[in-house]
Amino acid sequence: MIVSGEGLTKSYGGNIVVNHVTIRCGPGTITGLLGTNGAGKSTLFKMLLGLVKPDQGRVIIESTRKKPLSGIIEKPCLYGYLNAAENLKIFASIQKTPYSRENINHLLKKVGLPTDRKDPVKNFSMGMKQRLGIAIALINDPEALVLDEPFSGLDPIGVNSLRTLILQMAREEKMAVLIASHNVEELSKFCDFLYVIKDGEIVRSDTAKTLITQYTDQYLLVGENLNFSGPLERFNPVLIGNGAEIRCNPNEITKVLNQLVANGGTIISCVPKINMNRLFQYSQL
Amino acid sequence: MRALIWAELYKLYRQPRTYYALGAIVLMEVVILFSAYYQGSALIDVLMSTLKQSFYFKGDLLNGNLLVYVILNTIWFHLPLLLMIIVSGLLTSEYKDGTLRSIFVQPVSKSKFVLSKYFVAMLFTMVAIFFLMLTAFGLSYTIFGRGDLIVYLDTLNFFENNDAMWRLFWAYLSGTVTMMFYSVMSLTIAIFFRDTTITWILATFFLILSNLMLRVDFGTSLWGKLLYVKLGESWQHFFYYDINWQEIVLNNTILLGYTAIVMGFGILVFKHRDIA
Repeated sequence: MIVSGEGLTKSYGGNIVVNHVTIRCGPGTITGLLGTNGAGKSTLFKMLLGLVKPDQGRVIIESTRKKPLSGIIEKPCLYGYLNAAENLKIFASIQKTPYSRENINHLLKKVGLPTDRKDPVKNFSMGMKQRLGIAIALINDPEALVLDEPFSGLDPIGVNSLRTLILQMAREEKMAVLIASHNVEELSKFCDFLYVIKDGEIVRSDTAKTLITQYTDQYLLVGENLNFSGPLERFNPVLIGNGAEIRCNPNEITKVLNQLVANGGTIISCVPKINMNRLFQYSQL
Repeated sequence: MRALIWAELYKLYRQPRTYYALGAIVLMEVVILFSAYYQGSALIDVLMSTLKQSFYFKGDLLNGNLLVYVILNTIWFHLPLLLMIIVSGLLTSEYKDGTLRSIFVQPVSKSKFVLSKYFVAMLFTMVAIFFLMLTAFGLSYTIFGRGDLIVYLDTLNFFENNDAMWRLFWAYLSGTVTMMFYSVMSLTIAIFFRDTTITWILATFFLILSNLMLRVDFGTSLWGKLLYVKLGESWQHFFYYDINWQEIVLNNTILLGYTAIVMGFGILVFKHRDIA
């Protein structure tokens, strides 16, 4: 494990925000922290990043690098009156890591930002700010990256390209990536491991695949000539536009899709819908 | 530490509000000079009508030196107010924009970071006073010319042109120590309260309170000798006939000590505080 929090607890004014949470993330792994607003995700990440001192528990970082981990909390916070290169220069210099123009351009290219924009970053879109925030986090090659709600405020194209970037960092550079989000659909798409946090406590933790399998009971199918007659009627299809929403277990979905194709239908997409109420219910871990 | 100071200086240099502050200083001077140009002569004539019958004054009494002295008097309230607003913004803007979070997810020491803020705050204060002095002398001498300086301190004190000039220079220098204390205090208030508006209100309140305390006569008691407001008016001592250098140096040294204590307290609090 590169970064792990053991029994982390934090309270504000007698109100326990994070309660004995243990979370771990290893190299090359993308770990998701799923929780609703106010569940304690940001406080937990702030403790991992050393911004907030835990009342109890400890953060263990197994790295010998100058900067073992870095990240973005809530939103990318930048100097709006400076341009992208100047922001990188400032953040590099305070770490005593003077960055040449080439280093800065390399970082900008790596996160998919143009190297020729000279205007202040206050003019940037949220997606570009997220990318610049990640570029700043990447200065000094940390081994772990902690990203809090990195997809909020991004359009679908921005989400997609940021997801590709995160995957690339985890898979190709073997970085440990921790991502917090309230968007279960988004996290389930690319996380290897998932933690579910509710009212400051981890209520579930398992591989993303296991959790998706356990808590998916609906699918949104999009296609043409979808015929739910006969045995498929028991899945209670609700027709929506070009598709249908059906209630079925993950172990039945292959059968349903095959049947629909056999009935002359064409499937364009099949999106699992996780039952949030069940996922966020308290359980014994 | 040097890298942090460089970064702070760069931020200050690139922020528009630095230039607004310097612009505000010039505007303040222009307003004073403008008022003096239209009303000053009449007021001086009323004040001096009796004295002018008995004494000979070289040149016009409404002259550059008097205006430099009037501008110097902004050290009582206007200038520290402006400085406290600007200097506290060095930190409150970082709280507001969340850039402190971005900084402290990097390997940066909290103590060194906030110490560099204090250092830059003091440097900015020195630059601002130097700028005020330079523009005050430049504009006042250009518009009103030179002449003898008349100052009312318990009684009317008169200084010849050349004598007045260097007394004014030393007074600005001594005033810098006072202004550094207020700047450091405002940054410490910012550390405690984080919020821009609350910091402004409290900094202004601190200044008002200081001005009120200044009017209280503590006599020769320890309060009168050691209270920061009394120490901070040392720059006025240059306008007594006999300059008590020993007292001025001692007062400024104690005030610098207070500044260091306030700064140390701020660093300690900042170091142990979470970055929310």
